Amino acid sequence: MSSIQKYFYALVAISVLASCSADGDNPGVEYAPQMYHTTPYEPLSQITNVEAGEWASSDEDTLGEFYNSNPYNPHNMTMREPAENTVRYTGTAPMPYNIPKDSFDLAARTLTNPVDSTDAVITQGRALYDRFCLHCHGPEGKGGETGTVGKVFAGITSYSSIGVKDKPAGHIFHVITHGKGRMGAHGSQLSQEERWKIVRYVQILQKK
Amino acid sequence: MALGCKMRNFLFLICILSGTVAYAQQDSATAAGDAAAGGEQQETAAADDAASGGGEKYPGIPTDQASISAGQELFEGNCKTCHNIHTKLVGPALANVYERVPGEGEESIEWLHNFIYNSQKVIASGDPYAQKLWEEYKPTVMTSFPFEKEQVKDILAYIQQETIKGPATASTETGPGGEVTTDGKQTGISSTYMSVILGVLIFVLVLILVVLILIVNILVKYLKDKEDLDEADREVIEQKFSFKDLATNKVFLAILTAIFIAVVAKTSIDALFTVGIQQGYQPAQPIAFSHALHAGEYEIDCNYCHTGVRKSKNANIPSANICMNCHSVVKTESKQIQEIYKAVEENKPIEWVRIHNLPDLAYFNHEQHVEVGEIECQTCHGPIEEMEVVYQYAPLTMGWCINCHRETAVNADGNDYYNKLVELHNQETDEPMTVEDIGGLECSKCHY
Repeated sequence: MSSIQKYFYALVAISVLASCSADGDNPGVEYAPQMYHTTPYEPLSQITNVEAGEWASSDEDTLGEFYNSNPYNPHNMTMREPAENTVRYTGTAPMPYNIPKDSFDLAARTLTNPVDSTDAVITQGRALYDRFCLHCHGPEGKGGETGTVGKVFAGITSYSSIGVKDKPAGHIFHVITHGKGRMGAHGSQLSQEERWKIVRYVQILQKK
Repeated sequence: MALGCKMRNFLFLICILSGTVAYAQQDSATAAGDAAAGGEQQETAAADDAASGGGEKYPGIPTDQASISAGQELFEGNCKTCHNIHTKLVGPALANVYERVPGEGEESIEWLHNFIYNSQKVIASGDPYAQKLWEEYKPTVMTSFPFEKEQVKDILAYIQQETIKGPATASTETGPGGEVTTDGKQTGISSTYMSVILGVLIFVLVLILVVLILIVNILVKYLKDKEDLDEADREVIEQKFSFKDLATNKVFLAILTAIFIAVVAKTSIDALFTVGIQQGYQPAQPIAFSHALHAGEYEIDCNYCHTGVRKSKNANIPSANICMNCHSVVKTESKQIQEIYKAVEENKPIEWVRIHNLPDLAYFNHEQHVEVGEIECQTCHGPIEEMEVVYQYAPLTMGWCINCHRETAVNADGNDYYNKLVELHNQETDEPMTVEDIGGLECSKCHY
């Protein structure tokens, strides 16, 4: 073998090895792929192609090693929503909140805040407010363009405006849960307890 | 010959350099374009409803300065979020509103008072003008404002003043629309500046080279004409560069081979270390969601969308209903946003491409690290608020995990669980208590 050939093979070896690393759409070469791709259903990832990873498969079934999806679920999803009317059990969890979306008055009349207005609750409420409300309603709850999203989202309510500043806790809780006007429903992002804590903090902002 | 060869190499280098500059320019141009597109105002179609300026003083509306300034304060605290004077926002433009509503004088003011107090009641009463408004703006319901009649008059006084002023002066106060789009372009300007400097630098270098070549040529010519040179000097001047000599020179070849082997070995070893590591993986996603826009420019907290990050093993990929909290209103025309609507309509999840993936043999919990350990998202995910397209920032190797566990001090303040541990730890050493010290390097912490 001539020396030119040796150089050539060395260069080929480098370029092959260089393609092992991840970049752009290429996730890179995996060492022992059978350890990375699980047989059980994996939440938040889904591979519907039955042939994916067939080359690494040592099972007797005809499915590829990387295949991870459940054909019995809608859209072959690996996750399923709980059955309707399921009550989440955590030991202390309240019953599901079932006041209809447009019954603001009913919520305002009947609901009372189960968390007390202690310093700890206010601190937690504020932390939650900063994560979930601040970018629209602004640091003081003044709405309009005081929040960063207000630049592109018009009509954000100020808590201290005359129509809103006297709204009771139940009304605030209901609005967080189901939304009102242009505001979306935030019930899926926050637990009931977290919503009640935010209510405590919003009630402070109402007076500002 | 030698000079010619050098010259060619140099030209080649310039080509590469200018190519890079051009590429960089193109890159920054697209980035600026994206940012501008992202910052686009949603409420652009506003001028259609603009009422013209001018107009007469309306009977029943106070004109004194005290009423007007009281009205302005009320307007800015309560009405401004949904109404502009001269352009349509969430609700209609308010210029001339007292002339547009039914009734004359006091009657129309009474009508407005009722509508502001409870618009749904007026609509339900079958009032034709209220019904027309409802048809145009439904399902948006105006918030009820329990104003006194005098307060309504004050607001109308302010509106009347603004109406008479006309839109030209008013727009300077209330028009933030245009400013938003310009923000993103700042970076474009500075990078053009950079490439101009680079271009000038290259030009100067080329000029210097040309001058040097000329000087060398002139000197060689001058020396050639000289008679009184000795043998050695003459040899130097008439020296010719030869590739053949170089290719057969053993020392030169040995050095070349050594460098080549070293480079090959280094690249191979580096490449082998990237096997099984997905650092830098940056797949295209089904919807061109930009973290730079959402988390960067609009400062939406990570937790708003990744709802599991403080209470679950997984940070969670948001479902489409969270997108809809804003995109029911914002950028509804965009093709990319239409994809979300499609997903909601079909009740089919958007198939985002997973980037970060630990093998099942390692256990990782977000809640433990973010809520309890108080680690910033950026520590592991990098400058996520600057990423147009997300890539894997950290190597996510075991060595990387272990290293952080060795270096990170545990914040045990206000947590009685650690009292005895901290006490014992402080008896032994003055160093802060790290994750390693509380068992963060035990195999079974992560592998079980």
